[in-house]
This record gives sequence, structure tokens and C-alpha cells, in this order.
Amino acid sequence: MIRLVIAAIGLLAAGISLAEIETQAIALNCRNCHAADSSEIPTLTNLSAEQINRMLLDYKSDKLPATLMPRIAKGYSDEELKAVADYLGRR
Amino acid sequence: MADWSRRRFLQLAGLSGAASLNGCAGIVSKSNSKAHVVVVGGGFGGAIAAKTLRQLDAGIKVTLIEPKASYITCPGSNWLFAGLTNIKNLSVDYRALSADYGINLVSDSVTRVDAERRRVMVAGGEAIAYDRLVMAPGIDFRWDTLPGYGEASAQIFPHAWQAGPQTLLLQQQIQAMNDGGVVVISVPAEPYRCPPGPYERASMIAWWLKQHKPKSKIIILDAKRSFSKQKLFEAGWAKHFGCGTANSLIEWQSIADNPLVGLDAQTGTLTTDFGDKIRGQVLNIIPPQQAGRIARESGLTDASGWCPVEPQSGRSKFHETIHVIGDAAHYAPIPKSAFAANSEAKACALAVVALLNGRPLPEVHWLNTCYSLITPRHGISVAGVYKLDAERNIGMVKGAGGVSRLGDEQAAILEAGYAGGAYLSLVRDSFG
Repeated sequence: MIRLVIAAIGLLAAGISLAEIETQAIALNCRNCHAADSSEIPTLTNLSAEQINRMLLDYKSDKLPATLMPRIAKGYSDEELKAVADYLGRR
Repeated sequence: MADWSRRRFLQLAGLSGAASLNGCAGIVSKSNSKAHVVVVGGGFGGAIAAKTLRQLDAGIKVTLIEPKASYITCPGSNWLFAGLTNIKNLSVDYRALSADYGINLVSDSVTRVDAERRRVMVAGGEAIAYDRLVMAPGIDFRWDTLPGYGEASAQIFPHAWQAGPQTLLLQQQIQAMNDGGVVVISVPAEPYRCPPGPYERASMIAWWLKQHKPKSKIIILDAKRSFSKQKLFEAGWAKHFGCGTANSLIEWQSIADNPLVGLDAQTGTLTTDFGDKIRGQVLNIIPPQQAGRIARESGLTDASGWCPVEPQSGRSKFHETIHVIGDAAHYAPIPKSAFAANSEAKACALAVVALLNGRPLPEVHWLNTCYSLITPRHGISVAGVYKLDAERNIGMVKGAGGVSRLGDEQAAILEAGYAGGAYLSLVRDSFG
């Protein structure tokens, strides 16, 4: 399941920008909890960029209740969350 | 002990072991740098640093030097005291890192770092040259801080703060103790590995004692005035272990103003500055800590005993081509945890690849999440998001992070499950 995320992370792929690398620096940390395919914590590979972005924004604004993600989503700007969602959703 | 959480945990552990992953398929980029990065230490930080470097740039040769063939994780090791796991489930090896990611494994220990000539010497006699060195040596103990206590004492009074034989020794002592015995847990001042660890440990031991030796007691002697997730732990202890009543299974005492001054090994008695004597049938003395030996001998530590780093890259403040990550390094206010080591390692790997390819350093974020179990069905957590502040120091992002909601019983059950899931994910991400 995490192969898709791993496949994401080639740094020197043509045209990768510093902004993209900085998005990657955030997104790599998602895998700490979302790498194993356990029923407790879902992987992100079946979600589209739009779905991930909506969920992250809803966690941030407490529209979507959860135990942990609202505390984490508040650490990033909406732009950062969108970039992370695009990054994860592409893979 | 055949409760839901144990079954789920073992199920998850089995699932973790069965899964395989061809990581090489994921390496999509390769520079012509032909640089060689040596990583010293195969704990959570070193393992994920080596793996991430290979994933980011397959043109970089990566060597991981670690003397042990397998590693027993400290995260999850407290769960052993409640009967939720065992040493086998806590053991990981380096086969996937070698086979799937092309990391060159050297099963040896580093005897010396020659920073001027950029090479490390291993006990087997080989000198290994590097372009950049990533040090993840973890912790060593300060054995000389309590009169009457020393390195040999740990065989009688286990610290169990590096998982393995010490964990089993502590478990055996607790199981052999009479009902009505006292377990003393001595907690050092910060910084030390895993700030909430002693309190999760007390909880897991209490859970087992409550069922098997309910007249017993745990006394935590704490060099600090307060501790991580304190309100959540205390609420959990009140709910499950009678905290606040005369029959409390767990008693926490701050001895910040009345520190330990001696150990009488014959009687298992600790003495404080004011002359208080605390006797335990089991003494779990967690000594103060410092960066691992090779970091100290390589001139990477300051007077604090830890390694100061330039946080954006993890570069040592003393050696431009050496990076330090994980518990040995000073990343405060990020706590010393396996999760944080993983996050530090990824930021460091991004920086190393940028430096080797002549690119600017990216701005990075760090993340820490830490779950603790109070019972197998009562989990709590703390999280923090970190980035560089205006002064280029690591700062916690305001408004983010923090601890679980107090008194939310449904969340506590969910978080107990997430604790197991997050552990398995962290292991998979780091070693799988």
C-alpha cells in the first residue's frame, strides 16, 4: 500500500521545485502513522487529492471530528495542506 | 489477557510481518553524484535516514553501520509489562533495508570517527570513507549520578530504558514479587528518551498488578515537578487504579526539591536529600542520559552531553560534514522520541541530498506524535508540529498540537487502537 507513496518521493525528477521539495518534507511525515495497512489507521492511497484536501481543511476547522488529526492539521496553512493533498493524491 | 486490544495488537503484528514491499520499484530518481553517505546506528532515526536517502536519490550509495542483527524497539516495550506483546513482536531486522533499498549493511560497531579525513573506523579494522556522515547513536546512561549505583547495578535494578534483556529482567522481578510488594520507578530530570515513557510504564505494570498482585503499589519518584500528559495520566490512574484514594496502585511524588542522594543495594533502599528512605522490592532506576558514546568521543557533544545541530540540515555545530539525528541530538523543544527521530531523519535526508547535489536547503517541518496506553483500552496522545521560527530556532507551531481531550471515553478507546496502529506504521515506515 505504501508503494504508491514511496513511488512519490524521487527528489531529482525533472522539474521538481524547491516548493515541491518543501511539500514533500511535510508529506513524508504522514507516513509515520499511515504507512501500515492496519484497520486502526487507514492508508491514504485510495483517496483523491480533493478528498484529502477537504478532510485536512475540515480537520483544521474542527468540522470533521477526530482524535488527533485536528491537532496536526492546525499546524499548516491552507496552501500547505492543499499542496500536501495534491502531492499525496497524485501518487 | 485475551482482551480485544491484545488480539488486535497480535493480529496487527502478524499482518506487519507478513507484508512485503519491493521498495526499489519506488526509487524513481538517480543523480550522478556517486556520493557515499554513511549512517551510524540502526535505531528508528538511522534506519529511516538510510532508507529515505536511497528513496530520494538512488545515485547516492548508503552504508548503514549497526552491530546488532536485529533491533528491539523501545516504543511498545512498556506494553510487555501488561502482557500485550513480547520481545519477538518488538524485534525488527535490517533485511528489507538491504534487499529492497540497496543499503549496504555493515554489522560492526564504530570505534572512531576521523572527521578530518572523513572516514569511520569499525571494530573489524576497516576504514569506511564518507562524503557525509549521519550519526544516530541514541543514548547512553550517566552511571555516576547516584552514589551506590553504577553500571553493574542495572543487572539488579534494571533501567529497561533500552529494550531487550533489561525489559525482561524488570518483568521477571515484578512477576516474582510478593503480592503487597512495592515497585519504585525513579525518573530523571529532562531531557531524557521518551518523556511520557515512565508513566505509561507505571500504567502497564499497574494493569498487570491489579489482576495478579492487587495489594501491591508503584511509587514514582520524579526528579521533575510535572510530566508529559500529566492530567490525562492522573485521570486514567484515578479511573482504573484508585489514584487519589488510600488504596491507590500508583503514587507519584516529585522529588525536585528533595533529590535522591544514595542507593543501598543490599536493602533496595533509596535515600533522598532530606533523609527520606524509600524501599522497593523492585527498583526500576532510570538513570540520567546523554548522547551515545561514539558521538561523545567524536567531539559532537557540548557540556550538556547532547549534540547541538543546525536544525534545518541536522548538521553538527562542530563538524560541517557530520549530521546528528534522533535522541542523541539537541532538537528541543522536539522531544526525544522514535517518532521525532523519524521526522528529524527525513528532514536531514532532504538536506543531505540537497547539499550533495548543490541545491538550496529546503524549509522543513517536523512532527511528533506520541501515544501512551493507560490500560489496553485507554489510550492518550500528545502531538506537536514544529518549524523554524524567525530566529531560525525550532519552535512549536502555535495553535497546533497538544494532548487528547480529557474525559472523552470514546476517544480513549479509539486512541488505544491507534497506539497499536501507529506503532506498526512507524516500524513499517522505518524498517520495512
